[in-house]
Amino acid sequence: MNSPWRQRLHGHLGLLIAGSVLMLIALASLIIPALSPYDYYTPQLELISRPPMLSGGHLLGTDPLGRDLLIRVLWGCRISLLIALLASLISVVVGVLWGAIAGYAGGYTDALMMRTVDVLYSVPFVPFVIVLTMLFGRQLWLMFIAIGAVSWLDIARIVRGEALSLKRREFIDAARVSGVHGARMIGRHIVPNLLGVVIIYATLTVPTVILFEAFMSFLGLGVRVPLASLGSLIADGASDMQAHPHLLLVPAAVLASIIYCFNFLGDGLRDLLDPRKHS
Amino acid sequence: MLRYIVRRVFESIPTLLLIVTIAFALLHLAPGGPFSADKAMLPEIQHGIEARYHLDEPLWRQYLRYLGDLAHGDLGPSFQYRNTSVNQIIANGFPIDLTVGLCAIALALLVGIPIGLNAAWRHHSWWDRVPMALAVAGISLPVFVIAPLLVLVFAVQLHWLPAGDWVRGSISHLLLPVLALALPYIAYIARIVRGSALEVLGTAYIRTARAKGLPAHRILLYHTLRPSLAAVVSFLGPTAAGIVTISIVVETVFGLPGIGRFFVTGALNRDYTLVLGITILYGALIIFFNLLADLCYAWIDPRVRLE
Amino acid sequence: MRLAGASGLVTGFLATLAACNQQAPTAAPSISVGTALAPIQSLARTLDDAPRSLDPQLTTDIPSQRVLDDLFEGLATLSIDGHAVPGAAVSWQQSPDGLTWVFHLRPEARWSNGAPLTAEDFVYSWRREVDPRTGAGYAQALSPILNALDIALGHKPPDTLGVAATDAHTLTVHLNAPTPYLLELLVQNYLYPVYRPAIERYGDDWVRPEHLVSNGAFALQEDLIGARITLRPNPYYWDASHVRLQSVVYFNMPDRAQAVLRFLAGDVQFTDSFAASQRPWLKRVLGDQVVNAPWLGIYMLGFNFRMPPFRDNPALRRALILAIDRASLTRYVKYDMYVPADTLMPPLVGYQPQHPAWAGLGAPAREALARRLYAEAGYSPKHPLRVDISTSVQGADERHYFEAVAAMWHSVLGAEVSVDESEYKVMSQNRELHRLPLFLDSWIGDFADPINFLQLFYADSSLNYGGYRNARFDALLDRAAQQPDNSERYRLLEQAEALLNEDGVYIPLYYYSTRHLVKPYIKGWHSNLMDRNLSRYMFVLEHQGR
Repeated sequence: MNSPWRQRLHGHLGLLIAGSVLMLIALASLIIPALSPYDYYTPQLELISRPPMLSGGHLLGTDPLGRDLLIRVLWGCRISLLIALLASLISVVVGVLWGAIAGYAGGYTDALMMRTVDVLYSVPFVPFVIVLTMLFGRQLWLMFIAIGAVSWLDIARIVRGEALSLKRREFIDAARVSGVHGARMIGRHIVPNLLGVVIIYATLTVPTVILFEAFMSFLGLGVRVPLASLGSLIADGASDMQAHPHLLLVPAAVLASIIYCFNFLGDGLRDLLDPRKHS
Repeated sequence: MLRYIVRRVFESIPTLLLIVTIAFALLHLAPGGPFSADKAMLPEIQHGIEARYHLDEPLWRQYLRYLGDLAHGDLGPSFQYRNTSVNQIIANGFPIDLTVGLCAIALALLVGIPIGLNAAWRHHSWWDRVPMALAVAGISLPVFVIAPLLVLVFAVQLHWLPAGDWVRGSISHLLLPVLALALPYIAYIARIVRGSALEVLGTAYIRTARAKGLPAHRILLYHTLRPSLAAVVSFLGPTAAGIVTISIVVETVFGLPGIGRFFVTGALNRDYTLVLGITILYGALIIFFNLLADLCYAWIDPRVRLE
Repeated sequence: MRLAGASGLVTGFLATLAACNQQAPTAAPSISVGTALAPIQSLARTLDDAPRSLDPQLTTDIPSQRVLDDLFEGLATLSIDGHAVPGAAVSWQQSPDGLTWVFHLRPEARWSNGAPLTAEDFVYSWRREVDPRTGAGYAQALSPILNALDIALGHKPPDTLGVAATDAHTLTVHLNAPTPYLLELLVQNYLYPVYRPAIERYGDDWVRPEHLVSNGAFALQEDLIGARITLRPNPYYWDASHVRLQSVVYFNMPDRAQAVLRFLAGDVQFTDSFAASQRPWLKRVLGDQVVNAPWLGIYMLGFNFRMPPFRDNPALRRALILAIDRASLTRYVKYDMYVPADTLMPPLVGYQPQHPAWAGLGAPAREALARRLYAEAGYSPKHPLRVDISTSVQGADERHYFEAVAAMWHSVLGAEVSVDESEYKVMSQNRELHRLPLFLDSWIGDFADPINFLQLFYADSSLNYGGYRNARFDALLDRAAQQPDNSERYRLLEQAEALLNEDGVYIPLYYYSTRHLVKPYIKGWHSNLMDRNLSRYMFVLEHQGR
């Protein structure tokens, strides 16, 4: 049986490693393109789809237009991370507040709020995105809003479920008896006790967001060329899987690493923040 | 309980109405119509067809007309597939999605829950680390990568299973699509169950029981499973509807004639009736699964009172 | 499989016997004695998308056309080489002035339910095509026929169409002007006959397998919407004795990578397309099973003549046309799957290609000329041209292609061009409303005649997305329409095309090629310019493995 000491350290170690890797990837995506002789948009037609050549030249090979894959992937990281973090932030904030309020308030408020979630969940997202694109053009920030608008619903549902359970707990009754109500109750007692679940879902939202963006790129509604996100690079690579596997494997590996790290991060944060551990 | 169910069913009607209205508005807001941009269709003929389908009427009238048909169970003709009605398309495609989807859910539960429980029980051991590491892979690779990979390995290279198509009653045609669909959900469920089970196992109550020598299966089955299921249920509730309407990718890769693909191409081709029909189906499914989830909550956690 | 050797000989022998006994000439290839046929003659083909409808008058998409080509047969049909040959009509004559054609139908022609095929069926079907109430997809296809366009526009009733059934097996067609390409027109699916009693009885449902009556080599057995369509032989087809296939299945496979995988697995034997980027690998793995043959179509960019920067600026247009290295693009970005194009018309027998003057220039000279024209147009690296290429979402290959084009314009001219990809309906609508300065345009010929391409730039054509207007060009086309045969007619059309090139009206990029994967044991088909391969001629050789 592991001693609590080893558990703590393990949790923190995972957190540190995950955090560092993510920082490394983020820094690499910012610094390396500035240092490299290659850019992400100029085609070099004689060098299309070369496999990785580790001895000088293109470290990870080239894409179907002869552009350096490493640089493209790093740019893709920038875009994907940006989209993922911002959209997830929006989702989480909106979702937690919505779900906590609905779950705690109960009654008609709960019914109304959750029916709204049901309704929004059934809205066909493709026309929704098309209309947004039509109204505002293909902008990056549009991605955040479209994805964020779709992703907060899951979190709201789950948070509401947990809040429903929580509000029957003894310590809530105790708090209520001692005069805590409404916003303070939600802020001080409900939300902190939800954090474990929320963090797990937040980290699960990140890959969903990145993949949703990939799907939008797949439909041609994602980032504008010549920019690429990890999602669009994977979508392009998947169609060429048999002929040029590196076009798929490189961005997929980077994506998998980023997601791994977010999950480790989530686990570590959960260990840190779970209020029950402190008792 | 029965009164609760009946009340929820009644409540769902205005919800569905709202869904239809929003979807209707969005679809008509998007530029273009079902017959615009058809290879050089003469404008006069285009107007003729649009008149036949009442697309030239003011929006509010088209809306009311649609609701009227809906009340009779008529989802209208498809605009893309001019000799086929939406009812026919859904009736043909939905049972396939339902079969594959329900099997995928069952598989995800049957595999994911034990893995998650086991991982939580043997926290920090290889039983925990390895499955969780694999689970992350399952979540982080898109379906449009995994599905073709499965076909490549099992159908093309090994010839064990057919590469696609749908033959009623054939299990071998079911295996790969169900697997491709279930894999990410096995991962999600395993993680959720593990997370929830860890919380339960960490409580003083359980630690005491373990210290007292209560056998593992009793602790897991009788004490840990129920609360973990609550978390699974809250996850599955909304996603079940999506699974059952199948992701468009799985349908495309395996050549399954389901309705997911029609939904996206319908939106892109402005096949208003088809998209609305599938949206209503989707909405009804979500409402149904939410109701199911709430009922499950009540069963799992006696402290939750259905209001 | 082991017994196939002997039975194959017998089948081959019997087939030859049958070929000797035939009465009327048939376009079906004869199989030599000794060819071993597979015991199960079934073929699985793929379609890139679900057919929009199996009603010949309603659809214009290629998947529908493929299935319709097997289900129905027009007055003329396609030979194995893609030429118009006798179909439902066994012979025809035209009047000296070319305005009246008389078709003689086969007396033995029948529908798949045994009912006789009569001239009245054609009258009914063609009237249905132009009747505005039908909502046909391409009613203009019949425009050479007297009154067709007026009827489609609602000015005249459908029964004034210039077609009449003189008797049960004779059809008289009246034309607006001599139409040398009429036979090619008659093989369009819009002119296939349809079975009136089924339509009148079942309405929109007449295309269901239980109701559909067809007159072609096959009948409809099963139609799983969006999944697959199964055909069985039509026993009443006049040439049924030469139809070898016992079953044809069309699978709907929009995912091209998936179609390749299913082909490798042996589930399908004749696919409809594959991505250019897969071509080198496919060639390595499948060799001759990869088929790319000339297809009558062009991929190009169009200029908008109603708005700046291209309106009234021929120098700029020509600069952009010249600054593209088409050979490199098709070689590297399209993996040699297509043929670079420098003029509108793909190669066509009897028609003189109108290569523009710059076609012979080497790259340095061409680029220098481009730069000069760019400067002449009023642009420079300090004041670069800023414009978007408006395309629709098609796939990674197409996206890369236009990125490369934009990059070329940047490196040669210093122009700042970006690619604006929108969803198809959005792009189409903007294009129709003439809002896009530079847009994707492409055209696959309906029939093998230059007029089908040149009419794209006729003044008020609904396909004239750029809004190009040139009275001289229109006059040439009008004069050509009066010519009785192709000798003078082609010369006039060649001049018209040369005019377009001088004016820099469009940017030619490449000519299409067919893209099929075909198993080596599938015979009875040849690549042809229209890329229409009727299952009627095909047969399956005995083979091992998949």
